[in-house]
Amino acid sequence: MSWQIRIEHSTGYRYAAPVISSYNETRIIPQTAAGQLTLEATVRTEPTAATYRYWDYWGTQVTAFDLHTPHTELVVTGRSVVRTAPARPGPSDGPDWQALADGSITDRFVEFIRPSRFTTDHPELAETARELAARHTPAEFVPAVGEWVRQRLTYRPGTTGVHTSAVDSWQQGEGVCQDFAHLALVLLRAVGLPARYVSGYLHPSTDATIGETVVGQSHAWVEGWLGDWWGFDPTNGVPAGQQHVVVARGRDYNDVPPLLGVYSGGASTSLGVTVAVTRLS
Amino acid sequence: MADLFEGYASQATQAWDEVFEAPDTPRPLYASLYDALRPLSSSDLAARKAALDRAFRDAGITFNLFGEERPFPLDLVPRLLDNSEWDVIERGVTQRVRALEAFLADIYGRAEVLADGIVPRRLVLSSAHFHRAAHGIDPPNGVRAHVSGIDLIRDERGGFRVLEDNVRVPSGVSYVVENRRAMTRVFPELFATHRVRPVADYATHLLHALRAAAPPDVADPTVVVLTPGVYNSAYFEHALLARQMGVELVEGRDLTVRNNNVTMRTTEGDRPVHVVYRRIDDDWLDPLHFRPESVVGCAGLLNAARAGRVTIANAVGNGIADDKLMYTYVPDLIRYYLGEEPVLANVDTYRLEDPDQRDHVLGHLDELVLKPVDGSGGKGIVIGEQASAAELGVLRLKIEADPRGWIAQRIVRLSTSPTLAGDRLGPRHVDLRPFAVNDGRRVWVLPGGLTRVALPRGSLVVNSSQGGGSKDTWVLASPESSRESISPRTRPPGNVPQVADGPDVGPFPSCDQQQQQQQQREGRQPQPPPGRPQHRPGQPRRQEPGQPWQGQPWQRQERQGQRQEPRWDQSEHGQPRPETIGDQARRLNGPAAC
Amino acid sequence: MLSRIAESLFWIGRYSERAEHTARILDVHVQRVLEDPWLDETSAGRELLAVMGMPAPDDAAAADSRQVTELLAFDPANPSSITGAVGAARENARGARDVISSEVWECLNATWNDLPHSEELARRLGPHVFFRYIRERTAMLAGLVDATLARDDGWRFLILGRSLERVDMTARLLSSSISEDPASQSWVSLLRSCGAHEAYLRTYRRAVDAARVAEFLLLDRLFPRSVYWSLSMAEQILAELDGTRREARFTVDDMARRIVGRARTELEFRSVDELVDDMPDLLVSLQRTCSTVSEAVTHRYFARNAPRSWTIEVPA
Repeated sequence: MSWQIRIEHSTGYRYAAPVISSYNETRIIPQTAAGQLTLEATVRTEPTAATYRYWDYWGTQVTAFDLHTPHTELVVTGRSVVRTAPARPGPSDGPDWQALADGSITDRFVEFIRPSRFTTDHPELAETARELAARHTPAEFVPAVGEWVRQRLTYRPGTTGVHTSAVDSWQQGEGVCQDFAHLALVLLRAVGLPARYVSGYLHPSTDATIGETVVGQSHAWVEGWLGDWWGFDPTNGVPAGQQHVVVARGRDYNDVPPLLGVYSGGASTSLGVTVAVTRLS
Repeated sequence: MADLFEGYASQATQAWDEVFEAPDTPRPLYASLYDALRPLSSSDLAARKAALDRAFRDAGITFNLFGEERPFPLDLVPRLLDNSEWDVIERGVTQRVRALEAFLADIYGRAEVLADGIVPRRLVLSSAHFHRAAHGIDPPNGVRAHVSGIDLIRDERGGFRVLEDNVRVPSGVSYVVENRRAMTRVFPELFATHRVRPVADYATHLLHALRAAAPPDVADPTVVVLTPGVYNSAYFEHALLARQMGVELVEGRDLTVRNNNVTMRTTEGDRPVHVVYRRIDDDWLDPLHFRPESVVGCAGLLNAARAGRVTIANAVGNGIADDKLMYTYVPDLIRYYLGEEPVLANVDTYRLEDPDQRDHVLGHLDELVLKPVDGSGGKGIVIGEQASAAELGVLRLKIEADPRGWIAQRIVRLSTSPTLAGDRLGPRHVDLRPFAVNDGRRVWVLPGGLTRVALPRGSLVVNSSQGGGSKDTWVLASPESSRESISPRTRPPGNVPQVADGPDVGPFPSCDQQQQQQQQREGRQPQPPPGRPQHRPGQPRRQEPGQPWQGQPWQRQERQGQRQEPRWDQSEHGQPRPETIGDQARRLNGPAAC
Repeated sequence: MLSRIAESLFWIGRYSERAEHTARILDVHVQRVLEDPWLDETSAGRELLAVMGMPAPDDAAAADSRQVTELLAFDPANPSSITGAVGAARENARGARDVISSEVWECLNATWNDLPHSEELARRLGPHVFFRYIRERTAMLAGLVDATLARDDGWRFLILGRSLERVDMTARLLSSSISEDPASQSWVSLLRSCGAHEAYLRTYRRAVDAARVAEFLLLDRLFPRSVYWSLSMAEQILAELDGTRREARFTVDDMARRIVGRARTELEFRSVDELVDDMPDLLVSLQRTCSTVSEAVTHRYFARNAPRSWTIEVPA
């Protein structure tokens, strides 16, 4: 059964001295793609700015804006209504390991097989991946990697940052959804399974009450290629389903930052992120 | 007889020589240049060279090397190309530019070349020069390489080959223009005996191409040249191009982007900008998308281009096309996009990520040239036969660690050309960088280009940062071609311009007057005009400069004083001048002889 | 005209005028020291340094004309020395190279290139060679500016800079001579260092005296180095710069124009006697006028609130 969810996401900065000029890009509008339909989406800024929208290389809708009036606080709010689809079971007729090793696949998905900035390879992780792959088909391998990650990492906010690499959080043994996703990507790619990073939102409850607004969160999970892309959430150990709202996909966090900008002025501190989600139907 | 070419033949190498087909026998193309140069003494040449360097330094025609301003060394012996050679180069360069344009448009759009397997996807997608931020930016007239420089060399058999493409921010064209200007001053006599195709209108073509690239809804586009600043090694060129195009030379801090509209700060407020001919590398162009620490760029510029409000020339992300690894695929691209065979061949090149080719190369390191894929300015190049065993060992490790980071090329002995070294001419290796300007309808190739010369004997590295100099490059007009088609300023023969009269000449004392004044000077003092302090004879004259105590002006005034109301300006109002004695001399030829 | 370029042109005007004026002043100073047996060399030197806004050397005795020349002519680190000013003018021209004519640029660049040679020559043959070189080159520059630059805003900013600098330098010069005996030879020197001696003689046709020198240098309506003439020039240019922007029927709301205009009228309607009495205050206020106008022009035409550096946002 598909859900309709309203999301209100706001984030921003406070500056120590007035900022006279700033240029920003946000990636907070959910995608319309397989299994998901974005019905409404707006991005507003405080101070107000004219916004410019475009789709980037990865197919993410980007909202860009610039500010030229002195300000000490910037708040960006995205509101959207999205229809999501329930989780699909892992495909049973997907490619086997041999098919994935074929040159046509490795060429086509080269970006999602090679290590990226936050998902650098590591011999020990590669060894783990090979052991897991030996015991599983590709379709079983994706959840198995998720399970392994859940065993190795403790979910603990504030211990890692947005620029923590997979290897760092693994050695640290803790992290947040972003780190879970990055670490899963390292293992998936280590055995040649094309895998990509997904950023979006998560509705916290599986049996959400219609019309009730609850605190949601920015979330990250992964997708592996099994003849088609199949989403899995290593933080929660479940396939991506109607609670998951996709905003952006890429090689890792670096391709999908929710808010990115440069400014001229005093030091900035993040105002944090608040996400409110309401299941509408 | 000690002439400039003495001993030249004995230094000859196995390379093709531009001038001599056999010892002491110049090619027909060079015959008259040879005859003109041979009788010159080395001190004559040295004097001309000194005058040239001085002129370059005063004009600030310099490049920065390790923080020092040096004049770009220009060798006095020009490099000549005949019409048929140039025709091949022109067609080959044009073809190459068209193929690279098609590739760029494809790769930042639908990427069919990857889907069709012409170029391996991983080669493009893992390149540091493939800028995903440039995806989806469609230049208004489809042009991404508004200016390209295609580096050519001549191999041992005399054929031209492409060594490298430059479609990012190729530099050096200012030296082409300035070398020519300098040569016409230093060697005017050579131009009398050669019909050299002009290079001075480069800026006109460039401006035309840049205006043609402007967003379509702008009637009268404003073009600017964006420079990193005066400390950039090519600053001279940026200033020259801006000046010759008559456009503003801006720095990043002069520009602002508001809501995708680009403006420059002027004394009259912000003025819109439509085309940015940028001479800043991609990485520094827009701190929002590239290096955030950049202070030479302009934040928001890339999105302004994406929104179609400004055109960035050359386009962002062109580096993917002139990547040294991509170079090996350009002949394939020409066949794929244009359905033509390449006019100009590549140098034989090996891709090291291919295991077979890598094995071959590792077995023959001492016979090859190894180039880092990301190197520029000749840095990191290893010439196998000149490297020690230890250096080759290090190189082997580097290649094995990062095969994609290197390509290998057969050592091509760049052709040699006589170059002043000490007080004689010696053979030095040269290459050629023709410049092409694409206005969207036509690719125009500047007739000539930059001939770079490796000044140390035997050196094959021609970059100015590595001890390279340059030569003026003359494309000789064919005898039958009348004039450049682009310069319709031909005057019908026999048409002498009409003028009213020769320039007016002022009054002049007659011979009698001069004689009388001379006698007066010897005998008595002339009367000063009224109102002047009287000068007493016998007292020493003050010899302060600027005091009109004596000499011509005074005497003229005195003579004026004899007439009523002398009005020198009347003739300019069309009234007849008062007749004076001096009027006798009002002729083009000046005063009558005594 | 780009604000950055306009500012460069303004400073080319100021620095080249400064180089020329300093060369003239030093030339006269050195000559005076040689010619006048009663002159106390070091105190004259210290006075000159003070007038040029330089701190006096620590060593009480160390202000002989050789040292003064070192400081005011050859010190490349000091933008008020001749070498420093030429270097600064050339550096500004380098950034404005596409706007000034190539002849103007080449003149400045060649001047700068030849400074070491000229300095070396001066150390062997005496400083006059150097001063003359500077005078000739700045005259050439002025001639090229006159002959090859269009009378657009760029030219206006250059001339504005030159005029303001001229007012400033002349005011400084006058304040150095204020204390002198009205019949002192130093008034002649003063005129000569402004290149005004002959013009003065032709105008007054009598011996030099303090009040007339002050009158001439401050108020002469025709002499292009007088303060009045320079202020009028600056005023006219500011009006042109302002006027091309807005048709003003009522008050002048351009700050720089108001200040210059006031300073000019201050001078215009003053009697010679008043002039002599108020001179010290007047000169200081003239120097202040120059700084204020320079600031006002910078604020209005050159001010850039452009960000000079970017910081990346801390991601949430």
